Amino acid sequence: MKLLVVLTCTVALAQDWTSYGKNTFGWRYSELDQINTKTVMRLTPQWMYQTNVPGKNETTPLVFGGMMYITGPSNNAWALDAVTGRPIWSYKKAAPAGVNLCCGQVNRGFAVHGNTLFKVDLQGTLVALDAKSGTVLWESTLEDYKKGYSATSAPLVVKNLVITGMAGAEFGTRGFIDAYDAETGKRVWRVNTVAADASWSGDSWKRGGGSTWITGTYDPSLNLIYWGTGNPGPDMDGEQRRGDNLYTCSLLAIDADTGKIKWYFQFTPHDLHDWDAVGDPVLTDLVMNGRTVKAVIQANRNGFFYALDRTNGKVLLSKAYTRITWADGIDSDGRPVPIAGQEPTEEGKRTCPGMGGGHNWQATAYSPLTGLYYFTSAEKCMLFYRTKQAFVEGQWYQASTIGRDEPGNGRIDAIDPKTGKLAWYFETVSSPAGGVLATAGGLVFVGDAEGYLIALDARTGKALWRFQTGGTIIAPPISYALNGRQYIAVAAGQTMMTFSLPKL
Amino acid sequence: MRLAYILCIAALCPAQDVTPVADHSGDAETGRWTFRIFCAPCHGIRADGGRGPDLTLGTYSAGDRDEDLARVISRGVPGTEMAAYAGRVSDEEIRRLVAYIRSVAHTSDNTSIRGDIAAGETIFWNKGGCGQCHRTGTKGSSIGPDLTRVGRQRSLAYLRASLLQPDADVTPGYATVTVVTRDGKKIVGVERNFDNFSAQFVDLSGKYYSFEREDVISMKREPRSLMPSTYGQVLNETEVNDLLAFLSSLRGGR
Repeated sequence: MKLLVVLTCTVALAQDWTSYGKNTFGWRYSELDQINTKTVMRLTPQWMYQTNVPGKNETTPLVFGGMMYITGPSNNAWALDAVTGRPIWSYKKAAPAGVNLCCGQVNRGFAVHGNTLFKVDLQGTLVALDAKSGTVLWESTLEDYKKGYSATSAPLVVKNLVITGMAGAEFGTRGFIDAYDAETGKRVWRVNTVAADASWSGDSWKRGGGSTWITGTYDPSLNLIYWGTGNPGPDMDGEQRRGDNLYTCSLLAIDADTGKIKWYFQFTPHDLHDWDAVGDPVLTDLVMNGRTVKAVIQANRNGFFYALDRTNGKVLLSKAYTRITWADGIDSDGRPVPIAGQEPTEEGKRTCPGMGGGHNWQATAYSPLTGLYYFTSAEKCMLFYRTKQAFVEGQWYQASTIGRDEPGNGRIDAIDPKTGKLAWYFETVSSPAGGVLATAGGLVFVGDAEGYLIALDARTGKALWRFQTGGTIIAPPISYALNGRQYIAVAAGQTMMTFSLPKL
Repeated sequence: MRLAYILCIAALCPAQDVTPVADHSGDAETGRWTFRIFCAPCHGIRADGGRGPDLTLGTYSAGDRDEDLARVISRGVPGTEMAAYAGRVSDEEIRRLVAYIRSVAHTSDNTSIRGDIAAGETIFWNKGGCGQCHRTGTKGSSIGPDLTRVGRQRSLAYLRASLLQPDADVTPGYATVTVVTRDGKKIVGVERNFDNFSAQFVDLSGKYYSFEREDVISMKREPRSLMPSTYGQVLNETEVNDLLAFLSSLRGGR
């Protein structure tokens, strides 16, 4: 297993963090073990960088060459000295007033190729920056923000291509995944995530949603990119888009060179509850029924955990991980067996899970040390209302509303991906907010809505350490090492924070 | 554009106080659908209130003219939970929202409360014992939610439900916290903070507690209220109506 790590991360060194999911398999697993189950109680803050930019911080920092590169809300970014937290350069680009966003002026981080950094800006642009100076090298427009398109996710570098998704399914857009030449910024291919086919009634595909707002993963041995797609639009009025609505709420396997869809798997055909399938598609090899299978796993927002064969998209395993009232299970073809009468209505229909789903977009982790898959989840139900809404280009187009948020707990779940069985869970008092990091120190790090950064024992889920940061943690923690010291870093509130063991 | 629209209406129609915007056919119906998306989560699916004010009363906190309604929708009300919708909802949609809100004015029975405000105030401070936990202005206690502006913030139906079934909808941040200490003592109070590792709360005498999870046997937060659920028996119908009339009259500035 260790060998596999080395093979798949030929560029990335253990002490660096150079991709959204750490390796291109999306593991978010750090091979560093200085901070471990025995030493973690001595973990102490090292530095804080106050960005002074209001908004939600969802960034995954990149760390290499002694520097930390972070993005922030409202098209801000910074290069910080990774040992001291002192700022080296900053980037800011004003967002035009007409950019429409469902969920805040957020950004989830950089990608890197050589010495060039890549990030998206809210107005649907992809920007290349010189890592040394922050100088803009090129900028490409994905699609016109005036038509409802925007961008928030971290790009993914595959060979000489920069792959990026988009956002805007709530604004009558048609989703896509784009690949740009890392040197020139020229578009090489585009995958439309909404098929212009009979799975959509009439011309509803033209505003079919299917946005791609979380970073995908890549398997070099198959040369396939895996990327999840969001909900169809309008969200809860299925009458305006009868049919399965391909390829929304799906996982796409895309040939990295050509941009052709090799296979797709639709988790929720004709979704009516906003259950995107954008959560990290984690690539791992599983021993099932005595044979090793190349798998892709995801805790889907619809409440089921899935393991698929990543060579062909066939379902290997599906299992509910939270309370589900909309389906009786998943059939052998991977299609949900729906329970009648769960569609949103004008008077409101209560369905579980709620709109945020069991697990939403927050970063997940896989540890080759424990063989467990870690993710945040919620056990909640919600009233879903259907509404009529006329389509106006670039404007909010959801045709729906939900009831008031019901009280409900959250959890950090550890699942054995071979069986879908829960190994342990850590209950949280509110819905999960942050992402997860697993480490070779036998730890799982996660932040919560109330501002705690928490270290859990990766084998048992026992809380071993915590720190109150004073700001809601939505971002996932990461780990890196410099000068022989391992660090844990996380954005909390408007502040970037790091932790390490005290110097001896 | 928005400013121009408001100025224009203000200039042309200075005397048009409560007359609805001319209801072009379909405006109110289109506005109803927009209302369901943006407004219903707080103001209720039928606009008759919830955590947000009842909009069927035909009288509004920030002014009764159409331009007042448009302004509030557009800019929000600073210091309250009412957000600004400019940018998310077009001026045209705001106009239709106003048409819808006008169309539902006086449609609920929420205005039919026949209670004596003065009698209700007496009940509040005496027989009801409300002031032992609640505050209006500078008077009373701060264990439960501040009621100084509750007549603006909550609909009559919501207030009635809160009085007779306090668990129906507990104001966020005012849940019930129960801690069992290592010596077996059970302490119950109203939440101030509750997180994965600690609890801060005040008991019904107003005493403040703070515990860390590892120092106690158990701690839990429940979405129920510590307010007595017996007001339906303790107070007769007239007294309930008097108390509700008093609560509805609490509009700040006392």
